[in-house]
Amino acid sequence: MSLQTATVLRSNTFRSSLLFSAAFIALLVLVNFALFNPGQVSVVVLSGLYQGMLFFLVSAGFSIVFGLLDVLNLAQGSFFMLGAYIGFAVYGSFPEGTPVWARFMAAIMAATLGGGLLGALTESALIRPLYARPVFQIVLTFGLGIVFTELVRAIYGPAGLIPIQPPAALDTTFPILGARFETYRVFIIVVGAVLMAAILLLLQRTRIGIIIRAGVQDSEMVQALGINIRRIFTLVFALGCAVAALGGITAAPYLGAFPSMGDQFLLSAVIVVVLGGMSSFEGTVIASILVGLTRATAEQISLQYLQTPVLASLSILLIMIVVLLVRPSGLFGREN
Amino acid sequence: MQTPGALYEQPNRASHKGFLPGILLAALLAPPLIAAIRGQAPPDVSGFEHFTRSLAEVACADGLNLVGSLYIAETILLGMLTAVAFAFPPGKHPVFTALRNQGALLSALLLLIAMPFVIAWGTDSSICERGKSFFWQSVFIEAFILAALAISYNLIFGFIGVISFGHAAFFGAGAYGVGLLIHHLEWPLGSAVLGALLVSVAMGVFVSVIALRIRGLYFAIFTLVFAEIFFVLAQNRIMVNITGAEDGFTFAVPDWINATKNRITFYYLGLAYLVGAFLLVRQIVNSPTGRVMHAIRDNEDRAIMLGYNTFTYKMLAIVLAGTLACGAGILRGLLNKGASPSVLSISFTMDPLLMTLIGGAGTFIGPVIGAFLLHLVEQALRDTVIPIAGIEINIGERWFLILGVIFIVIVIAFPTGIAGTLQSWWNKWTARRNARAPSR
Amino acid sequence: MSEGETGQLPLEISPPAAPILETQGLSRYFGGLKAVDGVDFKLSSGDFHSIIGPNGAGKTTFLNLLSGVLKPTQGKVIFKGQDITHLPAHRIAHLGIGRSYQITNVFPNLTVLENVRLAAQALGRDNFKLLTHYQRFDVYIQRAWRVLERVGLAGVGHSLVSSLPHGDKRRLELAMLLAQDNEILLLDEPTAGLATEQVPEFMSLVKEVAASAQNRKTVVLVEHNMSVVMSLSDRISVMHQGRLLAEGTPAEIAANQTVQEAYLGSLYSDLDI
Repeated sequence: MSLQTATVLRSNTFRSSLLFSAAFIALLVLVNFALFNPGQVSVVVLSGLYQGMLFFLVSAGFSIVFGLLDVLNLAQGSFFMLGAYIGFAVYGSFPEGTPVWARFMAAIMAATLGGGLLGALTESALIRPLYARPVFQIVLTFGLGIVFTELVRAIYGPAGLIPIQPPAALDTTFPILGARFETYRVFIIVVGAVLMAAILLLLQRTRIGIIIRAGVQDSEMVQALGINIRRIFTLVFALGCAVAALGGITAAPYLGAFPSMGDQFLLSAVIVVVLGGMSSFEGTVIASILVGLTRATAEQISLQYLQTPVLASLSILLIMIVVLLVRPSGLFGREN
Repeated sequence: MQTPGALYEQPNRASHKGFLPGILLAALLAPPLIAAIRGQAPPDVSGFEHFTRSLAEVACADGLNLVGSLYIAETILLGMLTAVAFAFPPGKHPVFTALRNQGALLSALLLLIAMPFVIAWGTDSSICERGKSFFWQSVFIEAFILAALAISYNLIFGFIGVISFGHAAFFGAGAYGVGLLIHHLEWPLGSAVLGALLVSVAMGVFVSVIALRIRGLYFAIFTLVFAEIFFVLAQNRIMVNITGAEDGFTFAVPDWINATKNRITFYYLGLAYLVGAFLLVRQIVNSPTGRVMHAIRDNEDRAIMLGYNTFTYKMLAIVLAGTLACGAGILRGLLNKGASPSVLSISFTMDPLLMTLIGGAGTFIGPVIGAFLLHLVEQALRDTVIPIAGIEINIGERWFLILGVIFIVIVIAFPTGIAGTLQSWWNKWTARRNARAPSR
Repeated sequence: MSEGETGQLPLEISPPAAPILETQGLSRYFGGLKAVDGVDFKLSSGDFHSIIGPNGAGKTTFLNLLSGVLKPTQGKVIFKGQDITHLPAHRIAHLGIGRSYQITNVFPNLTVLENVRLAAQALGRDNFKLLTHYQRFDVYIQRAWRVLERVGLAGVGHSLVSSLPHGDKRRLELAMLLAQDNEILLLDEPTAGLATEQVPEFMSLVKEVAASAQNRKTVVLVEHNMSVVMSLSDRISVMHQGRLLAEGTPAEIAANQTVQEAYLGSLYSDLDI
């Protein structure tokens, strides 16, 4: 199928899915206003955006890696976790008296770089030999995720680490419509949004981005054009892991660091990517916001009326099932 | 004129097929019968209870007793006969051919039948009372359950090539199903088991009908989420009165199947289920239906164009596999006399997957080998501590880490698993042997 | 039809009986791309009917529409008077319409025998006998061996398809069709990838297969090889950019100015009718 026809095909379902997503978000906001006071609503919306951004950070790499490499990287969650731990290690390695912001910046950079390097290593050593056997690739990444998690558990213990301190400016709460919300969580939202924009720009405006998008459509063709697709694969994989690691360290001052944090987010990340459509980055962006808001709303409803948070996890499971039934390839996915 | 078909070896069907299984049946039943005749029972009981009491008097004796020694002798005999049969070139005599084809499996089965007695002999304990043999019986029962679960998973994954991450849902439905029916609805055991099985059939049909048109990976994730919903539902506190939330709940089972009192019966029940599952799957895979499943795994589109409605076959595989998994779950529930959310956790999807891969996906014996290996090794090495490069590694604590490493090693080095690798070594060896020997 | 007749499409002589397979306004669009556009195709029973045209003319898409692999955007497919347009793909084989593929589409990890046996089994009634060993159903095995003998593959019956040379795989495609004893054979470039010297033998096999049955089989052949097409066909349809450009006997097509101008050109000029 030519690029032209694929684009034409996409636009009709694209538009209807876009409409659906917008309508759904509007519906969620309406439900919120109907049930809760403005303060609670703002907390829910911000919390939803915060959760959505975390999901995005874990799943961004997931969807590009799947779109280009056809690899379902079940170790993605553990890169998120590793980012947090690498950051912690770097944070604590500075001598007494180093200003917090310096430690913080160093931790973020180290985590991102470390995640990327580890990802590159993983791809070239372990994933590359298995491109012909996708089932085994999935099993391998699953095993790798377990190995990472268990190694960290063995070295640092299962209990987890106390959250590190972010720079003072971010370590506050601010009032909004009668409730209070942590500034740091807004910082996470901002970081997520910046990354969303950055990756979108990368994909749409740069040469590398075009190659990646072309490769997602037809990797053999790209190879035939003489481009070293293997190096691109490694780069993309590393990028995905780096973004996840960045997410981990960014969330660390709020979440702390514990071995199973990767697994907790993995399922949600998978749902986000599948919901959005596995080879669509735009789909992941929209779906992460959708899922985050849904979860936050469901959590609030659940706590208020049922006294347990059970609806929170159920809601995103159900919405994924419903979407898959109506759109078997996800909201913005491509039918091959 | 000889048709080309005649060149094709027909399987050794007809008269000699039932020969070995018939002998096995005799071997199975003879020792208990002999023991029951020789044993003493109180004079005031009669009928079946007289039989079981006299049997128990002999069989429960510490160390090596009459029943044990008979079983062990039979195992060794059959094993040796099979080894002898392999020394002769094939096709010489129908008895030898039968032994070549079925002897190894049947010897292994006899060994499992004799196993409680073997352990009792080795540890000078009784198969009926608390002691080493008693303890290891439960380890083996768990291995039987896991092996049956792995066999059921292999039907979907290895034979028809559908990837499912929701297998635990069927397993958990078995445990919770039978438990809920007995505990809350007070159904008798037989009806509860039937009820739980029917539920899993319905689940299989439901998942197939709504989700099979979703392709490949999306379907796998759909099943993952489907199972996760069950897990969340089982854990939540709203239904705590029904399900017991995170702690689960317990229920009462009849004495004869109560593993705390009557473990040896449960042992043979579990073994029987495993054998039944194995035979059923093998029969199905070798049937015309099973051949179509093979074809679907190889090239589904072509199968469709040949005229096969592949949806029906996939649904059949899912329902069958789900029901077998449910049966294993029922056994698990009865074994523990309870059910907790862990039976719905992802590990009961990933473990059978790993066991199937280790043993060899798409083979019959592979999942069984994988299950036994994994479970028995985990149990045996539970408290072993190995020093590596100055660090002490407690295998029991780091078992998940070891599993992860095994995952990776298998995928990279032994994709066909143990059975598959052995099979290809065997094929190469016989090919070389036939090349050296003069052609017939 | 004598030599020298040129120009317009010749008057179509109505076939004596209703067409066994026909399409009405059959179209398949992919977004803006009109892969098949309003094709009215008539196939007479017992005919050897070839479809020719340059790459991208829509021939394979047309076969996909006929065999139910693709559903049309517009139009109908009618088989023996019945509208089969929306029949699910797996029902098509049961009607007696068989298909071979341009790019070999068999079961690579199964044996040659098993491939053909599966084809034979598909139309039988034993597909859900779950508890009987498949080798007890001798009828399919015997039919498979006979078919393999016919196409000359009996010697490699037990080999894995993946180990076969390309020519044997093309024969296997044909064998699978034979095993189902279809009335209509849709052949998509069956000689694709064969060495030039293998082609005549292969095509004589095809012709022999088509002619030898009790009732002559009907063949729709998509081919690029002009000598094959001209020598074997009863009728030829020419497709171009998704549309049916011309239809007639080989002589008519060879003489058709429009077709010649379009692209037969040098391809054809050195062939004698």
